Amino acid sequence: MDESPRPPSDQSPPPPPPGAQSHTGSPTDFLKGIVGKRVIVRLTSGVDYRGVLSCLDGFMNIALEQTEEHVNGVVTNRYGDAFIRGNNVLYISAAEPL
Amino acid sequence: MDPSVTGIQEPFDLIRLSLSERVFVKLRGDRQLTGILHAYDGHMNLIMSDVEETIMIVDPEAATNGQGVVNIAKRKMEMLFVRGDGVILVSPPART
Amino acid sequence: MASQILPLELIDRCIGSKIWVIMKSEREFTGTLLGFDDYVNIVLEDVTEYEITAQGVKKTKLAQTLLNGSNIAMLVPGSEGPDAK
Repeated sequence: MDESPRPPSDQSPPPPPPGAQSHTGSPTDFLKGIVGKRVIVRLTSGVDYRGVLSCLDGFMNIALEQTEEHVNGVVTNRYGDAFIRGNNVLYISAAEPL
Repeated sequence: MDPSVTGIQEPFDLIRLSLSERVFVKLRGDRQLTGILHAYDGHMNLIMSDVEETIMIVDPEAATNGQGVVNIAKRKMEMLFVRGDGVILVSPPART
Repeated sequence: MASQILPLELIDRCIGSKIWVIMKSEREFTGTLLGFDDYVNIVLEDVTEYEITAQGVKKTKLAQTLLNGSNIAMLVPGSEGPDAK
């Protein structure tokens, strides 16, 4: 009983992105299309982060480059890189039409 | 997904590349931390050292026109565990 | 026999149509539904965001947007949103 397989460690990769639907326009397709583009990430608190989307994972954890933090339309911070924890994310929007 | 120029394939790579570096952390409850990042896990639980915490306290009395007077409290901790569910954002030092 | 159609099958039939998304907080979105997944994460196009505050409703136009399903409370298929009657 003490030789049971180990549970997955905390460092194991997160689950794959939400199940891909066959039709185009699914969240997965959308995300594939906007990596490397300028995006607006709005948190549930109402704070916005504008920057270039480096990558994201199945939890909606997000890595942004050239990040600007906007509160009530005013730039309140700038970060070269930023990791945003996915549970805070309300939406990810393309900053310009795709 | 193309392996980007920066070598970051998933968001956690950003954190991995910041180990032993001074990072900025934004937490729920208007708290901010700067400190040396020593460890993290999939929950974004963090171990940081040489930490300075900044707490913004908005004075509701003065918050009449939406922009209240902010009192700032600071304190230092030598070694700190941060529970991941409070983390909003982690920003590593500027990459070169 | 219980329902012959699953809730998300109905939403699947709305792809390409207008939809009204009501969040758990005082916030709503309308737009054209492009897709969704099992978590009800939703991709919209030609989006209007409505923030309902004590001062009134603030509207914001957005391009293609992925809404995090964890904050969604309700969906109104085929609706142009709070402005339409």
